[in-house]
Amino acid sequence: MVRYSKSRSRSVMTRTAACAIAGVMILAACGSDPAAPASTSGSGGSTAASVDGGGNTGGDTGGGKALVIARQMDVNSLDPSLAYCDTCQIYMTAVYETLIGLDSSDNQTLVPRLATKWEGNPAQTEFTFTLDPKAVFADGTKVTSADVKFSWERLKALQGSSSYLAGSIETIDTPDESTVVVTLNAPNSAFLAQVNSPYLGIINAKLAQANGATMDPATDTAETWFLSNSAGSGAFALKSYADGNELRLSRNDKFWGAVSEFPEVIIKETPSAVTQRQQLEQGAVDIAMQISADVASGLDSTDVTVTDVPSFNYVYLAISEKAVGGEALTPAVREAIRLALDYDNLVQVTAGGAGQSQASPIPNGFAGSADLPKPVQNIEKAKQLLADAGVTDITLDATFPSLNVYGIDFSTAMQQVQTDLKKVGINLELNPVEIAVWADKIGKDGIPVTMLYFAPDHTDSSQYVQYFSMAEGTQWQGWTKSDPNPEEATVLAQAFATQDATERASLYKQLGQMMIDDQVIIPIVNPDLFLASRSDITGMAYSACCNLDLSKLGRS
Amino acid sequence: MKRYLIRRIAVMPLLLLGIATLVFAVSRLTPADPLVSIVGERNLNNPDVVNAAKARWGLDDSVPVQYATYMKNLVRGEMGTSFSTRKPVFDDLIDRLPATLELTFTALIGGTAIGIGLGIVAARKRNKLIDHVARFFALIGSSLPAFWSGLLLLYVLYARLGWLPGPGRLEPRSAPPGRITGFYTIDSLLHGNMSLFVQAATHLILPAAVLGWGVIGIVTRLVRASLLDELSMEYVRVGRAMGLRERTVVNTHALRNALLPTITIVAFTFAFLLTGAVLTETVFSWPGVGSYAVDASRNLDFPAIIGVTILGGVAFLITNLITDVAYAFADPRIRLS
Repeated sequence: MVRYSKSRSRSVMTRTAACAIAGVMILAACGSDPAAPASTSGSGGSTAASVDGGGNTGGDTGGGKALVIARQMDVNSLDPSLAYCDTCQIYMTAVYETLIGLDSSDNQTLVPRLATKWEGNPAQTEFTFTLDPKAVFADGTKVTSADVKFSWERLKALQGSSSYLAGSIETIDTPDESTVVVTLNAPNSAFLAQVNSPYLGIINAKLAQANGATMDPATDTAETWFLSNSAGSGAFALKSYADGNELRLSRNDKFWGAVSEFPEVIIKETPSAVTQRQQLEQGAVDIAMQISADVASGLDSTDVTVTDVPSFNYVYLAISEKAVGGEALTPAVREAIRLALDYDNLVQVTAGGAGQSQASPIPNGFAGSADLPKPVQNIEKAKQLLADAGVTDITLDATFPSLNVYGIDFSTAMQQVQTDLKKVGINLELNPVEIAVWADKIGKDGIPVTMLYFAPDHTDSSQYVQYFSMAEGTQWQGWTKSDPNPEEATVLAQAFATQDATERASLYKQLGQMMIDDQVIIPIVNPDLFLASRSDITGMAYSACCNLDLSKLGRS
Repeated sequence: MKRYLIRRIAVMPLLLLGIATLVFAVSRLTPADPLVSIVGERNLNNPDVVNAAKARWGLDDSVPVQYATYMKNLVRGEMGTSFSTRKPVFDDLIDRLPATLELTFTALIGGTAIGIGLGIVAARKRNKLIDHVARFFALIGSSLPAFWSGLLLLYVLYARLGWLPGPGRLEPRSAPPGRITGFYTIDSLLHGNMSLFVQAATHLILPAAVLGWGVIGIVTRLVRASLLDELSMEYVRVGRAMGLRERTVVNTHALRNALLPTITIVAFTFAFLLTGAVLTETVFSWPGVGSYAVDASRNLDFPAIIGVTILGGVAFLITNLITDVAYAFADPRIRLS
């Protein structure tokens, strides 16, 4: 009886287990199509779409297969006047057109977009734009000068993170519906570069106003509306956005330019670089946007193309004498720190060798960066400087945000800096914290040695001087509480007043050298960008202003 | 019983207000600047931008005023607007809760069923090979960090073998079913879309396995220990002596008593998983409450942090209540008063 019970029990268990395993495998076989596309078309995705409102499988919606991008999204807002993030640059470029574009083949040449022509007066205080009469928004209404005026005035009025780009605008006149005359409150030769920043994209004013957009932050209620709607003239329009999950764009079939071949673009939230790579290899996504050097080195699929291109992003050290605990950091000691670092090794350790060092806070490729000497390690000179300053065996607080940006792990980078500085008798107490904690600390007490990153908002070198120099009122002059350097402000004003590109480059070179001499900001590594995509994706190019221009992408 | 339930339910709002007050105080005492998640670090020294952000988000008021405003809104059922998502926190939680519940239910039901089964087998085959295997399997489930087992399973079963789908609730190209419950499996069935149902169900397997493995570990060990205790009791010996079948003795008599402590553990595991499935959600790009909580705490998103904490509080209070009631039903000797 007992034996019977045991055997029966065992057979029931066996059957149950077998059924469970079989069920799982059948479900998996039915549902797991990631392997299928990899072995068929090599481009991935589900097959036919049945757009039925009750649940559908996207993919080939009749006009081509959807483009899927894996990236860690950092969206802070989808309101064009408030958005400010890397993903926002991609979104804004796809949905809201600017007056002027940037030729991504050289990242320097300005090209027509909504405006057919533009000109500035010799004083660089007034700029006139002529709009393309063919330009229309996604709802079919014409793009007019009133839309430009509304968009830029709202950008300035709402005081969002990108408002500074419109900060120099004094007035905007619209003599007719195709002409925009912008008067600035001071000469600004960087204005045209700022105009090609995606944050200066043009909004359909009537549509936005009908949904709560105003010129007053106290009364403006459109931000929520913009989370599920868009009002632009770009190649795509917002279809849906689910925070932490995905951003879907649908093709703007009324686009007045070349209509995209992708009926839909899906940006999928994929925080891990390793997962991005796996999904790319499996063909579940077409583009992986944040592949680091070490992850890229493991990509061995013939269906995947990885291009290593120089970027304008970089990670830097910042040193502050006025921070609590940083009293020993005189200019000579700061120079010693600069000389103590092994830059080649830092590039190797942090970016797997896929990157460059850079001379000043103006990154390689920007005006003023060309002829400045790259930093070189000189331990003996560093030791001599410290000895002359009477500094031996000091310990400094090195609180830094615990981040991993552009494939650079800040903890790894700071550990290497710590190792280098130890050789000259400077000890760093590493203290990785969340960025909110870091921000509180640097805003109150300051931090003697820290680390941060920078990516450009537009293509003019002025943004680096406005952020990194010790001219009064810049971000780092405030954080380090350094005495203002009026000379930097004067040279920047000269650069703003100069139209000639050669002269401007010369002035920015001067400013670059001045920022080196400040000995406050020490760029550590300018990492390359890995553009990883399925081999049939065409048009992949890194843009200095806009990250990735979706309208240029295609499928071969 | 009825009076007991009413009293317990009536106390809940007060407890939740207490939790909200505590979290509000802790978040404000933390030496951190939430403005960085609102305006970005590049604008922290721009007074125009900073002042506009403070005014917009009510951060220019004193802390007591902020607290009074928050509590007034909370009593009205408003949890404020998230700094990060720019949406009402309540809406965010409603959007994300089904993803977490679907994952948690699957993991909990699967993990509990397997855990009970393994626990019974291990107890009945004490110190035999199968007992050691079951305990080892349970030990691994309890010990392995979810991020490690998750990445490993993804690598082997998705990236290398392609047997199971990868991260996310659906394939990247698939659009979710029209929302009815927010559970993709249920909604796709309600819409009659079988292929989407299969996709949603298979996407649950890996994350639920990772999450459920931990549950298996806890339940197996508990059931085994409890059942061994029960099997040594007098009434079991009497049952056997009376000629009852071993299956009847174990399943009908001993197991019922042995499962009592499991009710508590399973209920609290559910509440814990609801807000604690952070690593699993991160590894599998699962857009649930766990990943929302991580982003909220990283960005010092005060309204979202308090919202998630209140949700966790509600989960624990409700599961606690359900546990007490379930105990009364499972063991008639227990009387709630």
